Amino acid sequence: MSLMLTSVWVVPLLIAWAWRSRQAATASAWLLRIAFAGFGAWAIWFGLYVHEGEPAGIFFWKPTLLYWTLATIAIIAPMLSWTAPAKIIVGAYFALSSREWRWINRGFAIACMLLGAVNLLVASMTSYRNWVDFKFSCLTILLFIGLFRLNFVWLPLIVDLSFHLYRRTVVAYRYVSQLLRTP
Amino acid sequence: MPFEQPLKKFVLAWPGSLTEQITLTPTGKSGGAGEIFGIDTQPNLLAKLYHATTTPPQLNHYQRKIQWMLNHKPTLPKISAEYQGIVQLAWPEAMIMHQSDFVGFAMRKIAFDQTLELDYLLNRRQASQEDFDIDYGKLVAVCFNLAAIISCLHSMRIAIVDLKPMNVKVYKSELFVSILDCDGFHIATDEFRSDAPQVTPDYLAPEFQGGSVTHPEAQDRFALATIIFRLLNYGIHPFSGVGVNSRDYPPELAGRIRNRLYPYGNSAHKNVLKVPASVHEVLPNALRELFDRAFSASAINRPSAQEWVASLSVYAVKHSGQMLPCNRGHLKFSSSECPTCLREQLIQGAAARRRSFLTRMQTAPTRTLKYVKKTLRQTHTSPFQAALAQTQFAAVHLAPRASLSTRNAIAAEILWIFGLLISYWWIK
Repeated sequence: MSLMLTSVWVVPLLIAWAWRSRQAATASAWLLRIAFAGFGAWAIWFGLYVHEGEPAGIFFWKPTLLYWTLATIAIIAPMLSWTAPAKIIVGAYFALSSREWRWINRGFAIACMLLGAVNLLVASMTSYRNWVDFKFSCLTILLFIGLFRLNFVWLPLIVDLSFHLYRRTVVAYRYVSQLLRTP
Repeated sequence: MPFEQPLKKFVLAWPGSLTEQITLTPTGKSGGAGEIFGIDTQPNLLAKLYHATTTPPQLNHYQRKIQWMLNHKPTLPKISAEYQGIVQLAWPEAMIMHQSDFVGFAMRKIAFDQTLELDYLLNRRQASQEDFDIDYGKLVAVCFNLAAIISCLHSMRIAIVDLKPMNVKVYKSELFVSILDCDGFHIATDEFRSDAPQVTPDYLAPEFQGGSVTHPEAQDRFALATIIFRLLNYGIHPFSGVGVNSRDYPPELAGRIRNRLYPYGNSAHKNVLKVPASVHEVLPNALRELFDRAFSASAINRPSAQEWVASLSVYAVKHSGQMLPCNRGHLKFSSSECPTCLREQLIQGAAARRRSFLTRMQTAPTRTLKYVKKTLRQTHTSPFQAALAQTQFAAVHLAPRASLSTRNAIAAEILWIFGLLISYWWIK
C-alpha cells in the first residue's frame, strides 16, 4: 500500500524530471519551486505516511504559512531584481509590461499577506465552522488559477496531443489496411 | 378458417333460373367479407363465398344486393373484339347456393398473370420488376381507362367508395383496368340501396374524414383525383409535403387531408411546401386545374369522372399529337417540359447534395480540430477567420506560446498540478 502511495507521486515527478526543459529557470521560479518542494514534502510526509498526523500547534497556521511564504517571495524577489513571482504564476497567458507586472506582483503580495492575517483572525475570533467556511472560500483562488491554466495551457496541449494521436492513428490504419489487402 | 378440400354440392344459379351443380376448389385467397374459390365447370369464373361468420341479416342483404347487381349489369366502356378476355369489373355473374341457401356469387376471373396491381405503377422500380416499363403515355391511358369505368358506374348511381390502388388491377399489355370487390360498391337507385361502410383514410375526402360517407360519388371523385395525381407524379400523394411549422403539420395523411393541406396547387400553400422530387409543375395546365379543384376547392367543384375522361382523352389517344417523345426518348406532354427528365434531374441533384452532406459530415471532426488549432495559434489564412479570431481575443493581449516541446510542456504541467494540489492541501 505504502509502495503504491509512493508511486502515485514519485512516478509523475520522475516523468517531469525526465521530460524537463533544458532551458535555465529564473531565480524567482527556483525560489517558488523550493518553497513548494518544502510544502509538498511536508504534505506528503504527514498526509501519506505519519498516521498520528501533523503537530497540533500548526493546524490553524497552515493557510497563513502558505500565504505568508508566497507573500514573502513576492516581496523579496523584485527587491533582488528577480522576475516578479506573479508573472511566473499568470505570465504564461498575458503580455504585460514590466511595470504592470510589478504592480500585479505587489497586489499579489498584499493579497497573500491579508489572507494569511485574516485566516488567523477568523481562526481565533470566530467559531471553528466559520474558519472552515473561510478556508473553503479561499479555495476559489485556486479554482481561478486552475481554470486559467486549463484554458490557456492544458486545452491547447490536449489539442496538440489529439492531432498527434489522430495522425498516428491514420498512419497505423493505412498500414494495417495495406497489410490486410496484400494477398 | 380457409377451406383446404374441394367443396361439393354447390349450385350455380344463373340469372333466368338456370342452375348447375358445381364443385368449388380453394384458391387460398380470402378477403374481409369472403373467400375465393375456383369453379370446376367454369374455368373463366371465380366464386366468392361469404365467411361462415356472416350473420343471417347480413347474408340476406348481400343476396338482395347480388340479385340487384345481376339484373343491372353496368354498360362499360366499349372495348374492341380482340380484347374480349379483358374483365373491367369483377361484377357478379351468378349466385352460388348451398342447399337452396345463398352463400356467395360467381364473377369473371381476372388473369392475374396478365395484370398487376395499380399500386405497382406508383413505383417505377416495382413496376419494372413486374415486367412493366412505365412511360407517361401508359400512365395517361391507365388514368383514362380508370376514369371511364368510374364514369359509367356513376351514371348508374353506383359508387365504389373504397377506391384505392390496391382494389384496381391493370392489364400489362392492353392498359385496361379492372376493379375488384364489386359487391362492396355503394348503390343508391330508386328500387335498391346499399351502403359501403369500408373506407381507406388516405383516399378519403376531407369532408368525410372522421365521419360517414354521405355523398359516395363525391368520395369517388376525390379518390380518383388522388390516384391520378399519384400516377402522374411518381407516387407522391397530393397531401404529402413539408410543413413550414412542423408542430401544426399532422404526421398522418388523413390529418393533412382533413385540413386540406395541399401544396401542389397553381398558387402555393402558405403553410406546406411541396415534396422536392415532385414533377407536378410540368403537368398540363388543364390537369393541374382539375387537381386544384379536386383538392383545394370545396366538394361541389370537385371534377367528375366524366370531366377527367374528357381531359385525359386528349392525351390518351395516340394520334392526337399531345404526347411527344423528348430529346432523350421519354414520352412527355407536348406543351411542357419532360417530367421523366425533370424527375431524373431532381433525384440526381438530391443524390449529389446527399453525397456532399455525407462528405462534409465525415470531414467535420478534422475541420473542427484544424479550425480550433488555427484559432489558438492565430494562424488563420482566411482574412475573415483571422479577423474573427483576432476579435475574440482583442480584449486580452495574449502572451506568445512558449516554444516548448510537448514533453517539456507535459513536465511543466505535472509540476503545476503538484503545485495546485499542495496549495489545496495547505489551505483546506
